[in-house]
Amino acid sequence: MFATYLGASLLPIGALATVLLNGVQEDAAKQGRDQGVAQAAVIAEMAVAPALDAADLSRGLTESERDSLAKATDLALFHGSVLRMRLRTFTGQVVYSDDGSTSGGVPVSDPAFHSATVGVAGATMIADANEAGGKVIRVLQPVFARASGEAIGVLELYLPYDKIDQRLHEQMVVTYWRLGGGLGVLYLALGLISWSTTRSLRRYAARQEHEALHDGLTGLPNREAFRQRATAALREDKGGAVVVVDLNRFKEVNDTLGHHAGDELLKVITARLRGGVRQQDTVARLGGDEFALIVPGADADEVRVMLESLRTVLTSEVVLDGVPLTIEASFGIALYPAHGAEVEELLRHADAAMYQGKRGTADIVVWTGERTRHPTQWLVVQAELRHALDRDELVLFYQPKVSLSDGTICGVEALVRWQHPERGLLPPSEFLPAAEQSGLIEPLTAWVLRRALTDQAAWAAAGRDWTVSVNVSARNLEAADFAGMVEALLAEFGTAPDRLVLEVTETAMVDDRATSMAAIHRLAGRGIGFSMDDFGTGYTSLERLRGVPLVELKIDRTFVATVLEEKENQAIVHAVIALSRGLGCRVTAEGVETAEIADWLAAAGCDEAQGYHYSRPMPWAQISVPIPEEAIR
Amino acid sequence: MKKLLVSMLALGLLTGCGGKADEPAGQSAVPFDQALHDSLPQAVRDRGYIRFVTDASYAPMESFAADGRTIVGFEPDLADAIGQVLGIRIQIVTGPFQTALDKVADGTYEGVLSAMTDTAEREKKADFVDYLSAGSSIIVQRGNPHRVADLTGLCGNVVAIEKGTIQADLLHRTQSECDGRPMKINEYKTNADALLQLRTGRAVAVLNDFPAATHLATDSRTKDYYELASTAQYDPGLIGIPFAKNNSQLRDAVKGALDQVVATGTYADLLQRWNLSSGAVKAVSINGATQD
Repeated sequence: MFATYLGASLLPIGALATVLLNGVQEDAAKQGRDQGVAQAAVIAEMAVAPALDAADLSRGLTESERDSLAKATDLALFHGSVLRMRLRTFTGQVVYSDDGSTSGGVPVSDPAFHSATVGVAGATMIADANEAGGKVIRVLQPVFARASGEAIGVLELYLPYDKIDQRLHEQMVVTYWRLGGGLGVLYLALGLISWSTTRSLRRYAARQEHEALHDGLTGLPNREAFRQRATAALREDKGGAVVVVDLNRFKEVNDTLGHHAGDELLKVITARLRGGVRQQDTVARLGGDEFALIVPGADADEVRVMLESLRTVLTSEVVLDGVPLTIEASFGIALYPAHGAEVEELLRHADAAMYQGKRGTADIVVWTGERTRHPTQWLVVQAELRHALDRDELVLFYQPKVSLSDGTICGVEALVRWQHPERGLLPPSEFLPAAEQSGLIEPLTAWVLRRALTDQAAWAAAGRDWTVSVNVSARNLEAADFAGMVEALLAEFGTAPDRLVLEVTETAMVDDRATSMAAIHRLAGRGIGFSMDDFGTGYTSLERLRGVPLVELKIDRTFVATVLEEKENQAIVHAVIALSRGLGCRVTAEGVETAEIADWLAAAGCDEAQGYHYSRPMPWAQISVPIPEEAIR
Repeated sequence: MKKLLVSMLALGLLTGCGGKADEPAGQSAVPFDQALHDSLPQAVRDRGYIRFVTDASYAPMESFAADGRTIVGFEPDLADAIGQVLGIRIQIVTGPFQTALDKVADGTYEGVLSAMTDTAEREKKADFVDYLSAGSSIIVQRGNPHRVADLTGLCGNVVAIEKGTIQADLLHRTQSECDGRPMKINEYKTNADALLQLRTGRAVAVLNDFPAATHLATDSRTKDYYELASTAQYDPGLIGIPFAKNNSQLRDAVKGALDQVVATGTYADLLQRWNLSSGAVKAVSINGATQD
């Protein structure tokens, strides 16, 4: 840009210089001619005219006129002050010349000669190789011979130019230097001004660009910069992943320790994210506690491996304002080009995967397709669910758990359904994730517990001694006074604590969180049973099972459904049964659909089973008890 | 340069409209008079022009323009006006004043237009058509270093004068009053030559007609060097154009034309233009010096 300025300012300066120099040259030439005219005027008046006082040129000169003219001009001719001289009539005839000839001279038709005949003196520069400097000044000057001012003829004078030329040349050289110097200084000043201007403009632009593309707090690329870089990465055709990272419970840090601590935490997280990725990866802050990574050239496994180690770094303890904190993060991965060709699409998918992880058991989730619901749909569901709670649109179905030893129903699992006014009866998978994600899970669980206990009181009155199992999410356990709420309900309905079983997923159960564990221990201490749901599908290590008071382990349906065909599943089921023996709790198999499986499970030593083989979930009152043992009993 | 071009163009347009190339720009036109034209001598009508001789060193009556060749002044303008009325061209030719009258008498020129005063002596050689009245004045160097107050003040001094003028006569006549301290009267071919003597201090005075003397003392180019010794005008008389005695036909035609010039107001206009109004005559006369 600066070079352009310099070039551009050179143009007018050059043009100015050309104009000025031309002017100077023209002035010098004119000055030379003017000087010639002035000189000739003096010569004509002082030397020529007095000698011709009474002359009539048309008749030629008299001898005495010729003599006095010669005397008056000899010296100037001899010394070269005048090179040549002719005296001519108005018709052009030469009546006197310095060398006596009557030929030569300016043609009468020459405009300069004509000018002189009408009283206007004129000078012309003539090339003359014989003279010093190669130039002479020719002056044609009317001769006013008499006091009356009457012109009698034309004087043609040739004056030396070399001395005038030399002086003019010296003047011109001085002028050139002054002009050159002045223009140079002007150019320099212009250059300096444009240099400083372009420099500050460039800096300003760079700052603006950086600010436009970077987050002020962390210095990370912002959402816009992320978009640009991701677009560039997508164009490279190498494949890779877009990862969305969301901090769990960041808001709590902000709310309890203040924004300063929140900002501090974001900076720590930023440093850890930066340290945990490769050189070629990009870390950006999309806003709030949401970060995004671009991991080019990596497949799902590589990204997962990388994120595993990143999570370890990220979740290590941070001390903020003297408070030690452990921050957890959820990672959603969208692979490109497999999961989308557009940045927005990839971000949406990664986001969806991340939320899936948040409500599920895993922190690192790869997008698996459109099954993952868009968070915005959840918002609708959440809003509707709020109304559903108010309008009592929810219903509880129950699925019996059957004792494999005698076939009796020993308990039921409460399963919530939503009698949606438009969509009909919805299974929990349609709305539980949305509830889980929001605070709605708490009133929902409270509603389920209340209804379950109400129903239990009803079937107890009807003579059925079933325990009731209610699913509880990790979020419920973390809630401030979950245990108190459960205790209050038990007291309200006068239910014996051992009639209630709370089913918790692995991750919720083994969570390190003090509040969860405190709630579990407090309720277990009261005699309420805890069951580990979907056992075997989470990622927890067995080590975490220690110290958790369980009354039941539920083997996930994925192991049960194909247990007859797959040896590995048999081994796993055997192992889980053995494990439950060791832990001192019973084992319930989920998803039992055939009598053969039930038989196998019974033979394997499984305590209880539930599944379509026995009954689909249904209102408790409809649970028929066609099993002979019931009658026996 | 541009301005000059524009004014030259304007001049060209004016002259173009005027119909005659030598008609002074802007001069009120004097109507051509067929009767006067017909009264001209046959030879003049055939030739289409007449020639007046002048010594052009007598501003504002006549002098050379800057080009050294064009003659300008009251009399050239007057000649143009006469020419318009008569329908002929009047050429102004330069020549010595001293011999001008003789050249008219011998027919070289038709007349003299050189501020020539009509005198009885001159009427012997020619007939005058008189159109202006003036006396003679004494011109001295600015500051009047020789304290010249009147003609006798010139006694004992060098006086420069143009040959053949009435002022030369006047000086010679004044010699008799100089009582042993005669003037040295140096006579020159032109008035300018005489003035040159005064300008360079080789003469103490020059005598001119009053209009020319006043012009010298007031014109910006000359007033630094000259002034009038007094306001007195000596030997007042009439100025006219002499014609050969045998050319009364032309003389009368010119007289008639001048009458027209006076009648149409052009005469007064030209006088005013050249600052000569004080010399106006009521009517043009013939041989006024002897007809009074």
